[in-house]
Amino acid sequence: MTWLDRQSFLGEASDDILAGLTVGLVGLGGGGSHLAQQLAHVGVGGFVLVDGDTISLTNLNRLIGGHFADIRRNTRKVDIAERLIKGVNPRARIEKHFKEWQEAADSLKLCDAIISSVDSVRGKDELEGFSRRFLIPFIDQGMDVHHLEETGEYLVAGQVVLSGPGTPCLRCLGIVTEEALEEEGRTYGDAGSKPQVVWPNGVLASTAVGLLMQLVTPWHRNPVDSACLEYDANLNTMLESERFRRRAGKPCPHYDAKDLGDPTFDIRKLPQQVSAHAKPGKPAPAELRPLLILTRMFRWLGKHPNSRM
Amino acid sequence: MRVIAKIRGGLLDHVRRDLARPQAFAHERVGFLTACVAAVPHGVLLAIRDYLPVADGDYEPDPHVGARIGSSAMRKATQAAYRPPLALVHIHSHGGCGEPRFSPVDLRSADEFAPGFFGPMPRMPHGLIVLSNDSAHGLLWHDSGRKPVRISDFVRVGAPYKRSWGTA
Repeated sequence: MTWLDRQSFLGEASDDILAGLTVGLVGLGGGGSHLAQQLAHVGVGGFVLVDGDTISLTNLNRLIGGHFADIRRNTRKVDIAERLIKGVNPRARIEKHFKEWQEAADSLKLCDAIISSVDSVRGKDELEGFSRRFLIPFIDQGMDVHHLEETGEYLVAGQVVLSGPGTPCLRCLGIVTEEALEEEGRTYGDAGSKPQVVWPNGVLASTAVGLLMQLVTPWHRNPVDSACLEYDANLNTMLESERFRRRAGKPCPHYDAKDLGDPTFDIRKLPQQVSAHAKPGKPAPAELRPLLILTRMFRWLGKHPNSRM
Repeated sequence: MRVIAKIRGGLLDHVRRDLARPQAFAHERVGFLTACVAAVPHGVLLAIRDYLPVADGDYEPDPHVGARIGSSAMRKATQAAYRPPLALVHIHSHGGCGEPRFSPVDLRSADEFAPGFFGPMPRMPHGLIVLSNDSAHGLLWHDSGRKPVRISDFVRVGAPYKRSWGTA
């Protein structure tokens, strides 16, 4: 018996799949802390934790794993997430980055998925672009509390988006807009304290974890590589976005699916220490059919008039 | 050294379908992948961008080998990877299940053609991949004068996401 026996329905090899997975969590406040906890419980083995902030008193209403004593200690959010994960799975592989995500880009490139809980629209936009460039499934979650002037009510709402190469992006879905970017630029550093509360973050994080599970384990018969689910906490509903329904299956006009990798890459500048040789694979069994390509064509390549750049 | 090869699931399915098509006289089909590259800690990432099948007219009859392709196929592949500079990866399938291996002839011929790709695309690594029906194996050359390194990780991106180049 193992600690994951009760979730064997996720599929025959799901324990190994999840243990081998590395998930990047960018933002470890109210949303990201839920993710850290749930992903640890479900058996994800590797984490790249990114947050450049420490816990403050007003985080305690929603930061899962945060203790009152952490306020006095000014504990880093990445350390709280690590404590939370290690408390469930002491063998988890954890890399912590107490910095902006751009400074952790090398580690994030190696992630099997990146889940964003960043507040800023620009942050979401840039992180999605990064994920697409390196063919990394990207999940974004966000919530807001809106005061409705007419009725005096508060509308608590949010969304979870699963985005992958070629699928509708945050711009397609109207989450990243030029207006929102401009507004954010104007009010930068003057955002004040946005209202936040624990349970919508939990609902959104659980939905994000569910989207990741259906993507990576054999549990789901018809997994999807893109989704946009909208949460209305006033009505207690989680529905597929109407805008997503209209865009699904159509090519994303904002990201060219062929814009990948690092356009400035030059193998000749790669440090020598990363290019240690490996032995080629063993020769194939005799029954495997051989491949032969004409030697003269390789000579031709060497003589190609445009062979120097 | 770590070498990660990532491909969109739909593109991988397309490659497999193309390579599985019978050819008039060759025993197997071959093709080329183009890839964008990025440095990652202790290695490189190949983000597969496109697939270039070898046209029927570019095969040459040879009963002694699985497939023989001519100069036109090599020229087309090189042109596809020339601007912007991309990594060029020869791909074919041996069928069957489990991790495939290159035949001695595969390795011998790759030792000759892979270094040739560095003439027109010296900024990029180039390689060779063989598929089985549920797995893959590959080599990557860093420059024309050195031995290749093994592709350590194959990742299929999409639904489902898999840390292998198996089928959906």
